[in-house]
Amino acid sequence: MVDSIDSNDGIFRTQNLNLYYGENRAVKDVSISFKKKEVTAIIGPSGCGKSTLLRTLNRMNDFIDIFSTKGEIFFQGEDIYRSSQDVADLRKRVGMVFQRPNPFLKSIYKNIVWGPQIHGTKKDLDELVESSLRKAGLWDEVKDRLNDLATNLSGGQQQRLCIARTIAMKPEVILMDEPCSALDPRSTARIEDLIGELRKDYTIVIVTHNMQQAARISDKTAFFYEGELVEFGDTKSLFTKPKEKRTEDYITGRFG
Amino acid sequence: MSLRRRRLTEKCFKIATALITWSSIAILGVLVFQILKEGMQWVDWQFITSLPSRKAEKAGIYTAIWGSFYLMITTMLFALPTGIGAAIFLEEYGGKSRLSRFIDVNVANLAGVPSIVYGLLGLAVFVNLFGFGRSVISGGLTLGLLVLPVIIITTRGAIRSVPKSIPQAAYALGAKKWQVIFFHTLPYALPGILTGVILSVSRAIGETAPLIIVGAAAYVAFVPESLLDEFTALPIQIFNWTSRPQEVFHSLSAGGIIILLSVMLTMNSVAIFFRHKTQRSRNG
Repeated sequence: MVDSIDSNDGIFRTQNLNLYYGENRAVKDVSISFKKKEVTAIIGPSGCGKSTLLRTLNRMNDFIDIFSTKGEIFFQGEDIYRSSQDVADLRKRVGMVFQRPNPFLKSIYKNIVWGPQIHGTKKDLDELVESSLRKAGLWDEVKDRLNDLATNLSGGQQQRLCIARTIAMKPEVILMDEPCSALDPRSTARIEDLIGELRKDYTIVIVTHNMQQAARISDKTAFFYEGELVEFGDTKSLFTKPKEKRTEDYITGRFG
Repeated sequence: MSLRRRRLTEKCFKIATALITWSSIAILGVLVFQILKEGMQWVDWQFITSLPSRKAEKAGIYTAIWGSFYLMITTMLFALPTGIGAAIFLEEYGGKSRLSRFIDVNVANLAGVPSIVYGLLGLAVFVNLFGFGRSVISGGLTLGLLVLPVIIITTRGAIRSVPKSIPQAAYALGAKKWQVIFFHTLPYALPGILTGVILSVSRAIGETAPLIIVGAAAYVAFVPESLLDEFTALPIQIFNWTSRPQEVFHSLSAGGIIILLSVMLTMNSVAIFFRHKTQRSRNG
């Protein structure tokens, strides 16, 4: 059962969305809405379709030949799969942080400015680098070596750099696909703190297989199971008073 | 099989591979030694700066060095952009269409075509059809065609080895495909592409047969000043000397081989330098 949500309130909204890999339906009839300046966590066991859904929101699934959609996804009221959609523009407005840190094989500085540069930003690059790195909590660690290769940073630093790179685009939404799964507990804690900071300015949708993490950092949580949206609501109530038996079984560790 | 026997098999295999390795290195060593022994007496400043001559003690290799140098420049100017462009198309835009598979198979086949066939093609197309005559540009373009498959195949391999996460990151920032390829895929693939350059320079600089067919002259008394000038090349000069009856010219050709090897190593070391530099920056 799904909480009733004012359908016009969300920055992202899906309507009876079905996602397919060839014949295989990975996401089934999902209607969900992500609100502005909220952190929404998507949880569920492996293969439940949570990453597939996330990668549909900025159309990163376009690179998979056999992928197809049925139903609608609205971003700021507009269907992102309509033929006149500028995909590059969508991705500029909807940033993404990946499972494994993937900095470019370039300097820290270039990693930040490359995105804005290809979209025509020319002035105040220094300031943009500083403010983005500050927001990502990385400035103090790297300010003296901005011209060093980004790939020389530690894994946790690389992931924060990737977040800074996304912030530098001034996106409206940040999608995070299990951003801590390749990191040690300390780096994970730092990223979680960072998400806490970012929620003030950004809409964040985060996929995680770590339930404690979802409980710690999110306002809303969606629980997916076998491609279905089982339950969606305030994080606190979902974790303390789940309405569905399957949700309860999952969060108490009975399966998954 | 008992433990002892398995260890023995392991040891035998190791020794066998080591033997094969060392024997091929030994053969190479003997060859190089033989050439150095015979040719070093000739290699001096006079040899490098003199024109070819009928008298062995006066003969030099000046025009051949410059001929080979200009040939390689022409070859690379033609083959690098063409080959890299073709590789990008096949790898990034070709998809799985029938056309790209057809090109694919044929590129692989072309890599195995004997070089003399390229010579005949060069003679028909560049020398006669395009009217370039027996010139540097005819030779360079012919050698360019010859190494094109090598460059395409190595560049494709290099592009394919770029981790998917890099273009993904760029696309997620709203980059267009050409921006991803130009700013990320190609720079990342550069060391692999340079390997292709090294292989093809090494191959092209030693080729003799196609140059004979497109009409490299054995005796050229001047350094080519334009692309349409006549030329000679190091392997042509060496071949010419070895085919003379006088004993002394045979050892002179050993001197030529030393020069050929040095020119090749010099040109390759530039590519190796860049490859090393880009690879080091990647590994941190």
